[in-house]
Amino acid sequence: MKRTTLAAIALAVTAGLGLTGCAGAAGPAETGNQNGKTKLTVSVWNYEGTPEFKALFDGYEAANPNVDIEPVDILADDYPQKVTTMLAGGDTTDVLTMKNVIDYARYANNGQLQEINSVVDSVGKDNLASLDAFDMNGKYFAAPYRQDFWLLYYNKDLFKAAGIDDPKDLTWEKYSEIAKKLTSTADGKKVYGTYHHIWRSVVQAIAAAQNGGDQISGEYGFFEDQYNTALDLQKSGATLDFGTAKSQKTSYRTMFETGQAAMMPMGTWYIAGILQAKKDGKTNVNWGLAPLPQKDSSGKVSTFGSPTAFAVNKNAAHSEEAKKFIEWAAGEEGAKTISKIGVVPALQNDAVTAEYFKLDGLPTDALSKKAFTPDETALEMPVSDKSAATDKILNQEHDLVMVGERSVTDGIAEMGKRVKDEVLK
Amino acid sequence: MTTQTITQAPVPERTAPHSRGNRKQARRNALIGWTFILPNFLGFLAFTLIPVLAAFALSFMEWTSFSAPKWVGLKNFERMIASDSFWVALRNTVVYALGHVPLTMALALVLAMLLNRKLKGIGFFRVAIFFPYITSLVAVAVVWNMLFSPDSGPVNQFLHGIGIAEAPGWTSSSDWALPAVIITSVWRDMGYYMVLYLAGLQAIPTELYEAAEVDGASAWQRFWNVTLPSLRPTTFFVVVMLTVSSFKVFDLIVVMTNGGPGRSTTVLSQLIYQEGIGEGKFGYSSAISLVLFLIVLTVTVLQFKIQQRRER
Repeated sequence: MKRTTLAAIALAVTAGLGLTGCAGAAGPAETGNQNGKTKLTVSVWNYEGTPEFKALFDGYEAANPNVDIEPVDILADDYPQKVTTMLAGGDTTDVLTMKNVIDYARYANNGQLQEINSVVDSVGKDNLASLDAFDMNGKYFAAPYRQDFWLLYYNKDLFKAAGIDDPKDLTWEKYSEIAKKLTSTADGKKVYGTYHHIWRSVVQAIAAAQNGGDQISGEYGFFEDQYNTALDLQKSGATLDFGTAKSQKTSYRTMFETGQAAMMPMGTWYIAGILQAKKDGKTNVNWGLAPLPQKDSSGKVSTFGSPTAFAVNKNAAHSEEAKKFIEWAAGEEGAKTISKIGVVPALQNDAVTAEYFKLDGLPTDALSKKAFTPDETALEMPVSDKSAATDKILNQEHDLVMVGERSVTDGIAEMGKRVKDEVLK
Repeated sequence: MTTQTITQAPVPERTAPHSRGNRKQARRNALIGWTFILPNFLGFLAFTLIPVLAAFALSFMEWTSFSAPKWVGLKNFERMIASDSFWVALRNTVVYALGHVPLTMALALVLAMLLNRKLKGIGFFRVAIFFPYITSLVAVAVVWNMLFSPDSGPVNQFLHGIGIAEAPGWTSSSDWALPAVIITSVWRDMGYYMVLYLAGLQAIPTELYEAAEVDGASAWQRFWNVTLPSLRPTTFFVVVMLTVSSFKVFDLIVVMTNGGPGRSTTVLSQLIYQEGIGEGKFGYSSAISLVLFLIVLTVTVLQFKIQQRRER
């Protein structure tokens, strides 16, 4: 081959690379009208595995034939990072789903979202759970459409077999007691009285909600009782050991669905998951819901949770359409739509609750219904620019206390010290 | 990865230029050479060089990715020196390197010597040892996590079996998590370095061994005085590559322990990721990455210096 030919090939390859590079960047940016329909883009995570998105989009499209909703699907674990990168790059996706309030605060404080007070007003401020979390000095930059909170899942068959009454009005003390009773080994298969997942919220957010504690204060004495309860359960073998759960990456779903755990404190998002698993024939667990166990037996139920919301991008290509969509999704129509698939809507009124309990497969006993109306739902983590850094430290120290490397007292002292030194200073 | 950078390639002898036509020809050749590296260089420029230079500049700024960066001078570095987490991560990184580099090297060499013989089915064993290196890292990490499980894991069951009552908690213990990660990474990497050593061993002329044998050298003396010195260029390459990869370790730790329990396995590159991508402090995380770069650079330059002195 002649040299000139070689050089020509090399140049062609270079040009080719350059062109494919450009094409890659230009591809997904296309928006606008197609056959007279407005194309509304909405950022979502794990579109396949999060059926509420499809339900909402299909519902809205049916009610508004002139709109075509296009999901921008993002890997769930990378969602906050990806959205941050998109916003920094001036992306024009119309509606941004706020996966948690910490990210919401970050975007809103940085001026990336449009104020949507009018939308919130028309949906009705009084009926939207957790709306306070989105209040930025009287301005709302997102409207919650979904509100998850924590309750207690239990296996009715295992309770019956052990001759224990349904877990009504439990205190943590009583809860530990029956968890130990429910623990057994039959045919070499161990059944745990309860399963505590490895998340720090299982201990810390519960303690904060039920003691009125502040998780970014740097003072963590209010964690103590809850840690003692959790460690005692672990030591007695009534729950899977933290170290094992962590190193095995134990799935809380498997623990409950295969009957390896008789109880499990968990969020309401799991309702949709367990309904689906039963529908698909993956489990035949006979499950019920109960309120989260409490500090005392006063009868008042305090739990914690976190809302999910829709916001309008500052650079949205279709701001007005986006607002209309949010008004629908956060409103009664949207609430009923997601109720049908077992997702708990943020909008709470009698009509919505009635719709929710029509759900096929949902336990309809009085205790399960009671679990649905906690007296108080605290935010899982307070909204602040310090939340993310504090969360990281509390997570690391939670590990050490749960694997028994630090005593509860030392662990709590270390949390306080590190949060004060590294975050609050 | 190119082995050629270390083993000296024969330099073709240049003919002295003796006419104008030759000079023109030389320029043409250079130009063609440039055209050939251009595609690669453009990619390098866009995705490596420019971001690296930008990170250097960012380490003196405060930037959250939403607003314009703000110049803050040495503030990021002051914060880093005062931060406990930085020192913990630095210590973990150094401990990891001190465990990973010598262990991988020693095992790779031993395996290479064992597999450097003509035996039936030797290919199978070589492939078996190399296999972990081409296995998905996530799968490796998940499987080893199970092996290391404190109660039911085979590792601890084996330890119980041989009479060790208090088996370590491995990834659930802050003292043993780093050794667990090191063991996994050594197992994963040794196959690759074994292949390099194998190549080195096969390049040693058999005459040297024959001569040594005639002189009455024992097996140990042959290893010490023939094999090791002849492998020096390979060893040097292996040490440099291993050191650089040890300081940059990220993926294995993220999947296996995610830096835990507590901060016991948090390494520098993970801290960079957490502070930058996780919390949006791009200036601060750039400052840490600059420090990591300087550490790797210093260690590598030192290794080159030592190697040069030895060769003299």
